[in-house]
Amino acid sequence: MKSILKIALGIIAALGGFLDIGDLVFNTQAGALYRYDLLWAVVLGTIGIAVYAEMCGRVAAVTGRPVFDTIRMRLGFGTGLAALIASTFVNLLTVAAELGGLAIVLELLFDAPFSMFVVAAAIVLVAVVAVLPFGGIERIFGYGGLMMLVVVVTIFHQSPDWGEVAQGFVPSLSGSTLYLYFVVGVFSAALMPYEVHFYSSGAIEEGWTESSLKENRLNAIVGYSLGGLLACALVIVSGYLFHPLGVEPNDLGTVALPAQGAFGETGLLLALGGIMFCVGGAAIDSSFSASYNVAQFLGWEWGRYRGPRKAPRFTFSWLIFLFLALLIVESGINPVEITEYAVVFSVVALPLTYLPILLIAGDRSFMGDHVNGRLANLLGWTYFGVIIVLAVAAVPLLLATNGGGG
Amino acid sequence: MRGLVATVLAAALTLSSYGCGDLSRGELSRGVEALSGLAAQGGLIANGVARDATKSTYARAMAKTLGGEAEHEAEKLADAEPSPEVVDERNVAVQIASEIAELLSELQTFPGDEHHGLLVQRHLREAKEQADALTVRLTGEEA
Repeated sequence: MKSILKIALGIIAALGGFLDIGDLVFNTQAGALYRYDLLWAVVLGTIGIAVYAEMCGRVAAVTGRPVFDTIRMRLGFGTGLAALIASTFVNLLTVAAELGGLAIVLELLFDAPFSMFVVAAAIVLVAVVAVLPFGGIERIFGYGGLMMLVVVVTIFHQSPDWGEVAQGFVPSLSGSTLYLYFVVGVFSAALMPYEVHFYSSGAIEEGWTESSLKENRLNAIVGYSLGGLLACALVIVSGYLFHPLGVEPNDLGTVALPAQGAFGETGLLLALGGIMFCVGGAAIDSSFSASYNVAQFLGWEWGRYRGPRKAPRFTFSWLIFLFLALLIVESGINPVEITEYAVVFSVVALPLTYLPILLIAGDRSFMGDHVNGRLANLLGWTYFGVIIVLAVAAVPLLLATNGGGG
Repeated sequence: MRGLVATVLAAALTLSSYGCGDLSRGELSRGVEALSGLAAQGGLIANGVARDATKSTYARAMAKTLGGEAEHEAEKLADAEPSPEVVDERNVAVQIASEIAELLSELQTFPGDEHHGLLVQRHLREAKEQADALTVRLTGEEA
């Protein structure tokens, strides 16, 4: 029973981290534009994040070191600083996008101005973090995010042509520049760097040791598989409903439309509730990640479990990140646009995040008997190759497609 | 600040979408396809209102957002300098965009009225058909 409860860490990482505003937007748009053709990219990204999350959870449990600690240790101060700057920039954009997304959902549920909800959302997040312990935050957002399962049920209500759906899982790179842009977007939305930063720091917050390795593996496999299932479901319901109609989903609210079509107001409320918890959880994950990175790089005391008195600089930096994100959203920039830029720019920061994990997890002097096996090494290095290719292609594709506008 | 950002973005979008000169057949066609998509999405929202299967705050906020997009599209098309061979089509496109914006505005005003929902859904379907027909005229292909 205890181990089942502990899988919550994987579930929040999957729903509040994996399924964030980036996944919601990119997967829904991918389905609307290319029907089921990009399902393979979702699966590719899901396996990638599960491989790296398992690795960094294992490193954290065995060595007691979170990701950013290993980055500085293995890459040195200069490269580590570059990684910190890149990750902080992307994390800040992500926090802003998630906060804005939360405000959009509140606006859809209650009738009041958007800017008021941005402030309300920030206050609620601060209150939740102040009142609840780390485990409580996990459970509230993780289990709340399970409402998104309504999207999976919607598939069966729509009853798509399963042969066509199955064809979407076969990789294909033949297509327009816009198609390639969405391959990058869908893949990198699954591998956002903050997810592993949060996952490994969360492992230390939870006091993982070598005895937690089984739990780590379960979290990575079950949690991210669930996240991947939901991401595929978003592509399928969008491909079924929006593609034939030529709908171009540019708003977060559109993500809830298929559930409304299938189950009326109940479906709509479940979808909006699920989105709210996913985006809210991701806002906490990404803002925590930004503070974790800075604190770990600079050697500050860090961790929610230490509390504001024992980790004052960590707590203060978290509040600063949230405040900066609030300013970005209040400036009037569309949160969905911020999301798209955060996802694409994150690809550039990916190699600096994932290389040190791979090096440490494969180093027997650090990991002892828990060093990467052949399969983990093969998958890790293969994915690292894919990440390098995408990192090179991301910005040219962003420019060539006018930010995905075609 | 919000106004400034919006103005800069709108200017950048207009320039990048239509260039500094003529509105070509291809560009106009893409704009009309976007209008068809907006009408379709609006129709789905209106369908929820007509069936009493939505939440009025959701229908109102979505209608407002989509209506704003349609209005923006109408303004972009109206401001653009069309190539001589597509002047008539551009004018029809502006008309369709304005109609979609008006219908969505009506939905925004009556998000809990099933009768209005049904009417708006019907008219949005017609607007989509007009947009699709215009796309066929512009491209010679079925939308």
